[in-house]
Amino acid sequence: MLRFVVRRLLLLVPILIGISLLIFGWIRALPGSPAESLLGEHSTPQAVASIRHQYGLDKPIYVQYWDYVQTLAHGNLGTSITTQRTITYEIGHRFPATFELALAAMLFSILVGVPIGFFAAKRYGSAFDHLSLVGSLIGISIPIFFLGLILKWAFAVKLGWLPSIGREDVLAERPHPTNLFILDALLNGDPGALWDAIKHLMLPAIALGSIPLAVVARITRAAVLDVQNEDYVRTARAKGVPPLIVDSRHVLRNALLPVSTVIGLQTGLLLSGAVLTETIFAWPGIGSWLKDAIFNRDYPVLQGGILFVAVVFVLVNLLVDLSYALINPRIRYSR
Amino acid sequence: MSIAELEAADVALEVGGGGGLWSEAWSRLRRNPGALAGFALVGAFAAVAIFAPLIAPHDPRDQNLALVGISCCPGPSAHHLLGVDPLGRDELSRIIFGARFSLLIGVVAVTVGLSFGLLLGAVAGYLGGVVDSLVMRLMDIMLAIPGLLLAIGIVAMLGPGLFQIMVAVGVANVPIFARLLRGSILAQREADYVLAARSVGVKRRVILVSHVLPNSISPVIVQGTLALATAIIDVAGLGFLGLGPQDPATPEWGTMLTDTDRYLQSAPYLAIVPGVAIILSVLGFNLIGDGLREALDPKLRGRA
Amino acid sequence: MPLIVVAATVLAATASGGSHATTSIVFGTEADPALLDPSLVSDGPSLRATDQIFNSLVGFKLGHTSVVPELATKWHPSKSGLAWTFTLRRGVKFSDGTRFNASAVCFNFNRWYNFPGPLQSDALSYYWNTVFGGFAHPAGNNPGPDKALYKGCRTHGKYKVTLLLTRRSSSFLSALGLPNFGIASPTALKRYQADAGSVDATGVFHPTGSFATRNPVGTGPYVLRSWSVGSRLELQANPRYWGRKPRLKRVILQPIGDTAARLQALQTNEIQGFDGVNPADFGTIRGNSRLKLLQRAPFSVGYVGINQSLPPMNNPLVRKAVAYGLDRRTVARAFYAGQGTPANQFLPPALFGAAKKGIPSYPYNPDKAKALLRQAGLSLPVKIDFWYPTNVSRPYMPDPQRNFQAFQASLEKSGFSVTPHSAPWRPDYRAGVQAGRDQLFLFGWIADFADPADFLNVHFGSHTAQFGFTNQALFNLLAKADAEPSYRKRVALYQKASIAVMKYLPVVPYVWASSAVALDRNVKGYVPGPIGPVNEPFSHVYTGS
Repeated sequence: MLRFVVRRLLLLVPILIGISLLIFGWIRALPGSPAESLLGEHSTPQAVASIRHQYGLDKPIYVQYWDYVQTLAHGNLGTSITTQRTITYEIGHRFPATFELALAAMLFSILVGVPIGFFAAKRYGSAFDHLSLVGSLIGISIPIFFLGLILKWAFAVKLGWLPSIGREDVLAERPHPTNLFILDALLNGDPGALWDAIKHLMLPAIALGSIPLAVVARITRAAVLDVQNEDYVRTARAKGVPPLIVDSRHVLRNALLPVSTVIGLQTGLLLSGAVLTETIFAWPGIGSWLKDAIFNRDYPVLQGGILFVAVVFVLVNLLVDLSYALINPRIRYSR
Repeated sequence: MSIAELEAADVALEVGGGGGLWSEAWSRLRRNPGALAGFALVGAFAAVAIFAPLIAPHDPRDQNLALVGISCCPGPSAHHLLGVDPLGRDELSRIIFGARFSLLIGVVAVTVGLSFGLLLGAVAGYLGGVVDSLVMRLMDIMLAIPGLLLAIGIVAMLGPGLFQIMVAVGVANVPIFARLLRGSILAQREADYVLAARSVGVKRRVILVSHVLPNSISPVIVQGTLALATAIIDVAGLGFLGLGPQDPATPEWGTMLTDTDRYLQSAPYLAIVPGVAIILSVLGFNLIGDGLREALDPKLRGRA
Repeated sequence: MPLIVVAATVLAATASGGSHATTSIVFGTEADPALLDPSLVSDGPSLRATDQIFNSLVGFKLGHTSVVPELATKWHPSKSGLAWTFTLRRGVKFSDGTRFNASAVCFNFNRWYNFPGPLQSDALSYYWNTVFGGFAHPAGNNPGPDKALYKGCRTHGKYKVTLLLTRRSSSFLSALGLPNFGIASPTALKRYQADAGSVDATGVFHPTGSFATRNPVGTGPYVLRSWSVGSRLELQANPRYWGRKPRLKRVILQPIGDTAARLQALQTNEIQGFDGVNPADFGTIRGNSRLKLLQRAPFSVGYVGINQSLPPMNNPLVRKAVAYGLDRRTVARAFYAGQGTPANQFLPPALFGAAKKGIPSYPYNPDKAKALLRQAGLSLPVKIDFWYPTNVSRPYMPDPQRNFQAFQASLEKSGFSVTPHSAPWRPDYRAGVQAGRDQLFLFGWIADFADPADFLNVHFGSHTAQFGFTNQALFNLLAKADAEPSYRKRVALYQKASIAVMKYLPVVPYVWASSAVALDRNVKGYVPGPIGPVNEPFSHVYTGS
């Protein structure tokens, strides 16, 4: 087990080097330069040249890459050109926002998706089963930004039930030690803040969670169908174990295994979706930040931010693999 | 992208070899109402795309600024069944012609992803060793960057434009196809019939082209169909972020949605109509892909 | 019964946050400020915030462009026009408790003039560069004392200060009213190391001080309470403010990038006002009895830019054909929610110097355009490259793509064959335009300050890659107009220049547009400034029904 973890962590190194090279090369291939971006409305060729010099963009490429690696090795991700704040500061504030949103979306998809998938399988071939299948297909067919706009339009603007933007009531003044607002509210023992944070989370989480919901429901259904015909389940039933216990102890538990892999695979999708969801709901997270950075040619943000996202993605998948091993003793990492 | 990837990966593990697979799959597909609905949707979609000039009541590029009042835009009328857009163009005709672009975008994007992905996957899977590790690590790296960001990044590099968008979405699809085909080939490589062919001295290349590839292809077809669906959504997402085609007169659904974000409050149907068109076409491909997956799944064989 | 009514009233009052609403406001902005040091920014969101925290020597009358006293109560130029003496307001304190006086003023001017190399870029100190034109210790190719308008600052006792200039300038006084020249507390500038920073291995400038992020100290009606990037910036009333006490105790600026999201947040009362209203939503806002719309005077111009270095645009006949081939009137009338005025010249009419008569006009006329092209010896259709930006909304082009498409159609009827090109506004589009890539392009200009020099001299005062022409007669006329001290003569010279521009056609202006602020009906006293978010103090705003 330990050897497996170490091996997987070591595999991270070439991936990180590869990603850093890829990002570095890609950024240099972009037309336009951060100098123009930085100068915005007032750029002149002289000013552009001086900015290029200031940011070391006139040095040879390999020197630039070496500088980049060196600063990375010091744990310094650099400073955003557009906001003049350090990348670590920005990530510290924005990552918790995205993390909270992604977690809420994932929870929503699991809490709703697993029961749907389970009952669809139990009633295989029923109207509910067909409905769930069609529903989940429609779910993955709706562009996330379209769903977001419609949700916001309906629940915030027309009905006025939920807020349309941001993470909390801006008039409130609350301490945020962790920047995870739900956790902060719990730590402060503030039920008002908790409700406020939840209300703000709802619409974006539903928009972002719609696709995982459909996937989770389908996977659960398929897994339950598989497990139901396994020998040990048949044996248990034959022995006269009450159906409720068979379902909870054998069927659902084993069916949850594939669901856990989905979570890992969905991380990338959630981050893609976060780009759009965060844009629509003015959610100060990492997805919209990186998107803006691409438009603004904010090199340091791209170099540091995308690397960070890639690391998160790889780590989440590692964790998923590990938890898979823990849940399922049949898998041994001896290879 | 990852849903399709996930589902197709499932298929890859499950699909076995054998010749009767296709005819049996077809007969099961015909009995699947969902897949039939999918074929109907995609068929209608393709028909609209092909016969657009005959069906559309107006030229989708004809502006009629006189129709656009001070606040945009007049709603549906007898002359313009779905109303007009902010430049006074007939919305219905734009939706009809838009089907062409969505279909084109989907097909080209998937073709790009498919051809490069298949090439890399086949090479990696068949050669194995260092080549395999190198190619697969590269694919891992690409997968570690969120697909939409990767696509935005590629468009930023190539500049905006219809073709560039298709390439970007296609490239973001490459690792998925590569992994899929590689896994499938690895499974096939050790199959009895391949071992048999090798033992009688058939050349490696011949084995690859005439035995392994055909038998590895069914998950790719499923994946291709599902990827068509996601490609349409991804392109719409890029359009929504302002990276649509260069010529704004192009009636592309995603871009039509983007524009109307500004008019959501004054003319909501301008957002709803292209949105629904996207959902229906994507749903069509998803239904077919889903039906194919079930039809090709050997585990489900024999089950109705 | 009466008891129930009372209870209900109390409930209603608490539910709507009655006490709350009278003392605070949440205002939606397009983005976070970049920095809170006005001398180092030029973007609207930053200036909206710093404008509340700092005062300049002179100000503008609310809602107007005329100069009025602010930190200086009186001023007069010397005979030569090279020394301006200002009498300062007495008893003013910075929000950190230190005194405002003549040496504080000179400290600020000398700080700007002596900016270290990294701060000299146009990205940071654009306005100092533009107005005062140079630095004491120029780094690299930056302009030095030889090019500077600024020469020095002298104190005469505590409340008199003289600014010395190297040449006459008539636009100098209005420029002083810019929020960028807000006077900051010298103690705070030093303590929070406003100019300090280091340059790391990748060449990135790291400000090490906290002046521009956490401790901006000025004399304005508000002070910074907290700033959480990406979500809120809170200002609170400055207890030491020298003017009338602000009625709103808290002002929260919330960045909301998406235009549609800003409007929705106003409709749901999550915010009580926002800037950057999309003209398409004017109708929605006017139709909502809970909201109101305040429009600024048109201080921007939208134009189709022409690059004469790319033939056949160097041919005046072709430029005329472009002017006749653009359906400018329809675009200006139809796409600005009724708020666009078709432009007959580059200068907006609200600005002095705009010509009243004798302006050549080019009404939409496809046949005339074709005839001109034939006269120029070209065979029809004439192929041209026409560029438009994406990801941007400006008062002069709320939906650039829509303007582009209308112009594309009208040009194609007028003997041109248009190849469309687009690029995201920042940075690709602007960079391309400025590098001279674009033959024909959609562009515009919003006034920095209310002076015709800010329109005409900036664009047509010298050769630029953007327009690619050299017209010495025009250059000379504009230089003369800027230096002219007499207001009356200046007006006449600029009127002449404005007509000359329309004859020469380096660009084809098509609209003067105004921007607008949307507010909750209960927000009162908000006076829209003529020039964007600048000069819109919240100190005059109050709420009530």
